[in-house]
Amino acid sequence: MDLIPQAFSDAVLLAGLYTLMAVGLSLGFGVIRIINFAQGEMIMLGAYGAFWLFTLFGIDPLISLPLLVVAGFALGWVIFGGFVVKVLDAPHINQILLTFGLGLAIQHIAIILWTGNARSTQPTYATSSFLIGDVLVVHGRLVAFLVAVVMVVALIAWLRWSETGLATRAVAENRGAATLMGIDVRKIYALSFGVSCALSVATGVVVSFILTITPFMGFPMLVKAIAIVILGGLGSIAGTVIGAIVLAFAETFASYYVPEGSGWAEGIAFILIIGILILSPRGIRGQAVETN
Amino acid sequence: MGWRIVSWSIWALGFALALLIPLFGNPMMIDITFRICSLVVLAVSWNVMASAGLISLGHSAFFGLGAYAAILTANLAGAPFWLTLLVAIGAGAVLGSALALITGRLRGIYFAITTLAVSEGLRVIAVMLPDMTGGAKGAYLAAKSFPGVTAINLGMGVAAVGTCLIAWTISRSRYHYAFRAMRANEHASQMLGIYPLKYRVAITAISGSLASLAGGVEVWHGGYLDPALAFDLHITITSQIAPILGGLYTLSGPVLGAIATILLGDATRIGLGHIQGASLLVFGMVLVVCVLYLPQGIRGGLSDVFRRRSVTCASHVSLAKSADVARP
Amino acid sequence: MSTILELASLKAGYGQSVILQDVSLSVSEGEIVCLLGSNGAGKTTTTRAISGLLSPWSGEVRFAGVNIVAVPAHKRVALGICLAPEGRQVFPNFTVHENLLLGSYSEAARPRRAEKFDEVYSLFPRLAERRSQAAGLMSGGEQQMLAIGRALMGCPRLLVLDEPSLGLSPKIIVDVYEAVATIAKRGLSILFVEQNVQAALTIAHRGYVLANGRIAVSGTSAELRNAPHVQEAFLGRRVSLSGAGKASPSSVATSSH
Repeated sequence: MDLIPQAFSDAVLLAGLYTLMAVGLSLGFGVIRIINFAQGEMIMLGAYGAFWLFTLFGIDPLISLPLLVVAGFALGWVIFGGFVVKVLDAPHINQILLTFGLGLAIQHIAIILWTGNARSTQPTYATSSFLIGDVLVVHGRLVAFLVAVVMVVALIAWLRWSETGLATRAVAENRGAATLMGIDVRKIYALSFGVSCALSVATGVVVSFILTITPFMGFPMLVKAIAIVILGGLGSIAGTVIGAIVLAFAETFASYYVPEGSGWAEGIAFILIIGILILSPRGIRGQAVETN
Repeated sequence: MGWRIVSWSIWALGFALALLIPLFGNPMMIDITFRICSLVVLAVSWNVMASAGLISLGHSAFFGLGAYAAILTANLAGAPFWLTLLVAIGAGAVLGSALALITGRLRGIYFAITTLAVSEGLRVIAVMLPDMTGGAKGAYLAAKSFPGVTAINLGMGVAAVGTCLIAWTISRSRYHYAFRAMRANEHASQMLGIYPLKYRVAITAISGSLASLAGGVEVWHGGYLDPALAFDLHITITSQIAPILGGLYTLSGPVLGAIATILLGDATRIGLGHIQGASLLVFGMVLVVCVLYLPQGIRGGLSDVFRRRSVTCASHVSLAKSADVARP
Repeated sequence: MSTILELASLKAGYGQSVILQDVSLSVSEGEIVCLLGSNGAGKTTTTRAISGLLSPWSGEVRFAGVNIVAVPAHKRVALGICLAPEGRQVFPNFTVHENLLLGSYSEAARPRRAEKFDEVYSLFPRLAERRSQAAGLMSGGEQQMLAIGRALMGCPRLLVLDEPSLGLSPKIIVDVYEAVATIAKRGLSILFVEQNVQAALTIAHRGYVLANGRIAVSGTSAELRNAPHVQEAFLGRRVSLSGAGKASPSSVATSSH
């Protein structure tokens, strides 16, 4: 059918966004070995941050992006130092419940402060669009895609070529040996957590002009990010990119070709998670996952 | 041992109250007893899973599934009260087993993630199948025969008592040690010849079916169901908070915690009721505080005060203390 | 010759099990000292206590006269202690060059990076040949050289090696030990733990035998080589060592039960 080019275009743009959404989770797990269940709420905070700056001060989300990203990093640093560091050596149940509880608390603080009403930022490019041949491209989606690409590439460059990036990868491989190199593992953890939150906040800013903003938006995004990261393999950035592409394409094509597909598309992440765990739990590029 | 007699007496008293209040109590007492019994079932169920190292982050999945199983069987097949509950139990057992089989021998975190995904996935399915479930608008219970309010309340009381007895039986059984081993170190328990998968399936099936039972009784109590209600985050959270607050891995912990959680929820609603979201905010904070500072929950605190031995086998292994494993 | 490292009555272990009961030893500047012991004697526990990966329950670890027990592990590199740990523990997905780069991560070592690369590559030509290869794909011997080279990149004053001969063929063991001897000639102090007594005594000046959580025997390598009871000490029985030898701070246990 002739919907294919349109679907393809939508899927590619969505894949970029999904990569940004999931890469923070991947980094957090790869380095610290903790899944941040409050990740969705970080995204939500980014979206609200962009919304309020836009609504109160008329600041375009793209301009508030750097500011909010820095704030997100700071928030992540504080959350790590104030809460996460205390459960680093604790049993998994403590770690899981801690971030889960934090996410819950943040979500309901948002409900109390900002109510459950839906919002969105409305910069001009949110709804304007242009045509490439027969394919309609919404500016907002394209902008989101470009921001995502820039940030993910920056992350990969940082990991690959900077001194701290190298140290971070070393910690992810073997934290004992990294310590012997003189690397302060705690600081690297805090740094990674901060970067991870910053990326989530960036996702939120970008999503603020694509989706509706509510305090509940974080949870489905967390489930999707988890699906992506499991598909691609926990701890692998390249795998995350692949996972994001798979989920984005699956959702997009489902919503085009399956009757009432856009409703079902939300459940695809869930199906993917189950499917991967049954077929190949290691994912595409991941670490060993058997018990302990 | 004098304490043992006191402990047994308190349990007997609790069971008696759960069964007698629905029959003889006033409406306010009946209502609070119902809610406590419901949470006791969920909390003990969650605790049983956690005792085997399986953290459920989506207990509402079982609850909601049981509720839908009951309402569908009642509406579409005209089944009586007790039969719908059996179906709910069965559905919960199937879901629990499926979860255990899917996550196989994978680390506990995968189980947690899967429960999270399943609760969301079931909600989506319920919304997307309006012909069957009424979709987002929901469905009313249209049963052929109605057993009466008292029977329903009593049903929840029986469920609560039964759940406690089942948990007690598990803790006394020889499988109990297998579960502790699984919780502490799955790898080692496999080497010792214990086969976690078989036990995982048993635990999740039993635990899941109990949570589904609670859902089934609740839908008869409320008479209406929609996806948001069935898979409410509130259910997931309180299922966790109650055992953690009361004392993880113990028998009395989830029960004490369920009572405390209901009271806390009511107090928040009364005190901050006009603020939507306040009670879950409080619960979130309680969760964080418990994880960080109160590893043994209320029960642990009481036990420190009275310095008594617990009736349960799983004594003081609790949240913050990980098993010490000598590494050469 | 001043003492660069001194362990004083060290007591350490994991969880409920005590591994080191009361361990005292010393290393002087420029010396090569070996700590011998059988499997499970506590050799790795000792190196971990020195490098900071493990906190002892009591006793002192004195480096250049200062007790460093409270110094976190990652700061000890800057002080001048570098460990090539048990099992090598190279970063498998990094190249040889990147592994060495990480070795000089600390602020103190970074400025001398280029100089250190030259030193390590000339000491271990095999590593130079394989500098772009992933460390995980190398043989045991090459990984051991990489572990030692990586430790050298940190500009240590004291180099600690944990069982350098483990799992290696005799020919490679000789190569590794020759490299260690060369390093020592440049003035570096070296402490290494070993199960392989023969190999250890070829280059060590002095040695200790660790058994039952304590130092059972100590002396110069000549004394240890010739003493008939070292093997027994290895197995855990206490022995006396005849002959005066060099003064050594740890006492010689006498056999009395």
